[in-house]
Amino acid sequence: MTFDELKEYISANYPDDMTLLDTGRCEPFYEVKAEKLVAVCKRLRDDEQLKFDYFCNLGGVDTGERMEAVYSLASYSMKLRLDLKVILPHENAEIDSVQEVWPAANWYERELWELYGVNVKNHNNLTRFLLPDDWDQGFPMRKDWDAPDFIRMPEL
Amino acid sequence: MGVIKKLPIYTEKLPGGGLILTSLETVINQAQAKSLWYLLFGTACCAIELMCTGASRYDFDRLGMIFRATPRQADLIIAAGTITKKMAPRLRRLYDQMAEPRRVIAMGGCTIKGGPFYYDSYSVEKGIDHIVPVDMYIPGCPPRPESLLEGCIHLQEKIKKQKLSDWQEK
Repeated sequence: MTFDELKEYISANYPDDMTLLDTGRCEPFYEVKAEKLVAVCKRLRDDEQLKFDYFCNLGGVDTGERMEAVYSLASYSMKLRLDLKVILPHENAEIDSVQEVWPAANWYERELWELYGVNVKNHNNLTRFLLPDDWDQGFPMRKDWDAPDFIRMPEL
Repeated sequence: MGVIKKLPIYTEKLPGGGLILTSLETVINQAQAKSLWYLLFGTACCAIELMCTGASRYDFDRLGMIFRATPRQADLIIAAGTITKKMAPRLRRLYDQMAEPRRVIAMGGCTIKGGPFYYDSYSVEKGIDHIVPVDMYIPGCPPRPESLLEGCIHLQEKIKKQKLSDWQEK
């Protein structure tokens, strides 16, 4: 299945759940509503034509106005790749855990929580992952983050 | 340490006591300088250069420097690589476990001032001299084995110049 066939398949089978975002020649990129995320992920994994059985990556984006969580998925058996984006509010962002779909998401969600301050609901172990255990300086990957010994790159 | 501290009090009263003291100083300093066993503490790419220096082409052993896997047996800690804020308490702990006299070499830009992570980094400690006292800084990113060798030779010269009377327990 090529990327174009995958796009056609998704627009035919998931018309209400996923909105295509334009990313040029890269793998298909879809926006998913936060409340539908777990259901869509479960369907993508169990779909006989897609079988997205591999959770590659979970990224966070802070655009300054909103938060985004980007899920990269792959299918070993069908040789497919797909990205999902969930758009969240900047403050008090909340997202459902997908670890019941892919257990591998556990660590990525801890990272998303501690670096971006996105609260992950239904997560079984939401504790510090990469930062020191006694970290109390907020969420360092946010655009507006600052700390006493943090030195910003001067404009060149 | 206690005996050596009291030695000047006894020997300087004897005729020729100063000579004994000077010779003893030389012997102790030579012994220390020529057997700097270092703790293997490589945390980033500087460790690759450290390994290269330890291998046959540059041959660290000829300076009497042999790597030790435990701080209890080490005289010197070569901090080779980026020290993150999470790693910093561990470095201090290893330093505290070493027996005196103990020395620290800061190898590479990261350990001196944060190196390439000076700007826009929330996780990197900007200089290990915030954590442990540093005896020798070796700049470079990473420094070539020649730089490391020269830094160690400078450290040996520093050790050879030390006076018994300057010794004190920290």
